[in-house]
Amino acid sequence: MMWLGWALAALGFAMVFGQYAAGQADIFLSIANPRPLDEEAMVVTLKGWGFASAAAQPFVTPESDHGLCDVRVFATRRQMLIGIATFGFLRPVTIAWRAHAGILPLGDA
Amino acid sequence: MPIVKLGEEGRWTNYHCTGTCDAATRFALRSGDAPRGRDEIAIAAKSVQDWLVEAAAAKRRVRPLGAGWSPSNVNISSQSWLLHTRRFNRCFRINADDVRPGIDAGALMLVEAGALVDEVSDKLEEQGRSLWTSGAGNGQTFAGAAATGTHGSMIAAGGIQDHIRAVQIVTPGGIHWVEPDVGVMSDAFIAATGSAPLRDDAMFAAVQLPVGALGIVTALVVESVPKFLVRPIQNLRKVDCAALDWLAEGDFRRFSAAYALDQDPDFVQMIVNPYKPFKRPAMLRFLYREPWRDDYPRATPGQLGAGYDALSLLGRFLNDYPWARGALLQFAMKQGYASGPDVDAPPVYGSWGEGLDTHRPLADLFNASVTIDRADLAHVFEMVCAVYARHGGSTVVTLRFMERAQGLLAPARFAHNAVIDFDGPRSQRTADAYARVLERLDAEGVAFTRHWAKSCRLDALRVAADYGEDFRRWRAAQRRLLPDPADRALFGSEVLDGLGLTC
Repeated sequence: MMWLGWALAALGFAMVFGQYAAGQADIFLSIANPRPLDEEAMVVTLKGWGFASAAAQPFVTPESDHGLCDVRVFATRRQMLIGIATFGFLRPVTIAWRAHAGILPLGDA
Repeated sequence: MPIVKLGEEGRWTNYHCTGTCDAATRFALRSGDAPRGRDEIAIAAKSVQDWLVEAAAAKRRVRPLGAGWSPSNVNISSQSWLLHTRRFNRCFRINADDVRPGIDAGALMLVEAGALVDEVSDKLEEQGRSLWTSGAGNGQTFAGAAATGTHGSMIAAGGIQDHIRAVQIVTPGGIHWVEPDVGVMSDAFIAATGSAPLRDDAMFAAVQLPVGALGIVTALVVESVPKFLVRPIQNLRKVDCAALDWLAEGDFRRFSAAYALDQDPDFVQMIVNPYKPFKRPAMLRFLYREPWRDDYPRATPGQLGAGYDALSLLGRFLNDYPWARGALLQFAMKQGYASGPDVDAPPVYGSWGEGLDTHRPLADLFNASVTIDRADLAHVFEMVCAVYARHGGSTVVTLRFMERAQGLLAPARFAHNAVIDFDGPRSQRTADAYARVLERLDAEGVAFTRHWAKSCRLDALRVAADYGEDFRRWRAAQRRLLPDPADRALFGSEVLDGLGLTC
């Protein structure tokens, strides 16, 4: 039965390591023909396995009156380690976005 | 007032995350809704001039920021006022009575300084026009790409700044409209922009490539050509070392016949793995220009081969596993670049603008280049790859070609230029390998220049030596535009001072 215990431990470790690696992946969504401004970012922490969430800063998008060009969602190594160490109770993720500069019609000089 | 303050003093990091402005106060220049472009840029230029005077009174240096695409950190200045121009991005068609006699107004467009290269391309295409060259990416502001001498990529053309026919540039002391001696815009038009005309060939050649050190560029008049189609061919081929001789001689037709179509190409690019560049397949890209027709089958940027400027991934592996670099880079070349269309595939077409990509790096990138006389290519290229690989350079090496570019500080200053780019994942080892390449080129006595916006490792002595008399003329133009040393210092930064441009 010893081998079964080791196999399950290895499987568990592989599952956790896989989550750790995949959680750092960059999920990227962009509109076609982007006209981006500078990137802004915020950290949102999911609490209690997603029952609640809180941003570490107010949700502000400076100069976003023309909408957003793209959004990235990812976790840093530290954020993934926090998620694993707290058994998922805390799950911080970083959301980064770039606002749109606007597409203005061709005018006359 | 079209300038608004963006929050309180803080940090700003550039696009490639190579530099940070500490204690910077950010402002944004925004387009208005004036009915005519000349009115709009008159209002904006006056606001910028007032802003410069305020900055000087507050004892803060200033830095205009476009898309922030300068890994050389010429866009970095701490304890300064930063002026973001991205929302100052309108474009205007020019009428025949706005220009001097003999000038084709239909070929010109008035562009605000924050418009991206992509936006300029789109607005020109609306009018049946096109840029004739540009860099691999189109996410820079047009003014910023020109200000740093972004090299073009069409064999028979120069740099992106060659499109510029007039520049509105603002200093604390004045609003200047700079043109060549022969003039471009009418006196009435220039007066309506609130500018003083300055028609002088040397001054114009200086402001075509100002490196952000001559004032704040607020508007440009951009020249164009009738729009055209390009047919791309992209493939992986083992390139014979002897083919470098054909390229060095400018026999692009022979190179194209050997690896793509038997016709004259307008664009040739070769991306090699510096680890055995002629034993492993290289990624080749050719563009063939054709007359415009409206009924061409539309292709996506990916199908047109866009997105070939750099690899974003694999950086950590390349850094940590030096023994596997050659194989990893080759794998990345296959995975990271758009595949095809090859010679046998159904042809696809696109406009010049459609074949470019607004690159979005997901990892930290290293960008550097050297520009050499094309005639030196055959005996330099293998040596460059060998030195770069031996010292652990972990990017692909890209080769492109262009003619001499306009602008006193244009890096493409040979009659025929070969541009060797080192673009890929960033690491200290790669930066060190690039430095060894520069040392070797110097040791071999090979003349070369470097891109102002890329990691260039330049200093004031080297800039003065590389550009010689042209640098002296550029400094003379600077003293005319900014006669007060305090005004020249206003546009300085640690990086620009180090390059000898502002001190």
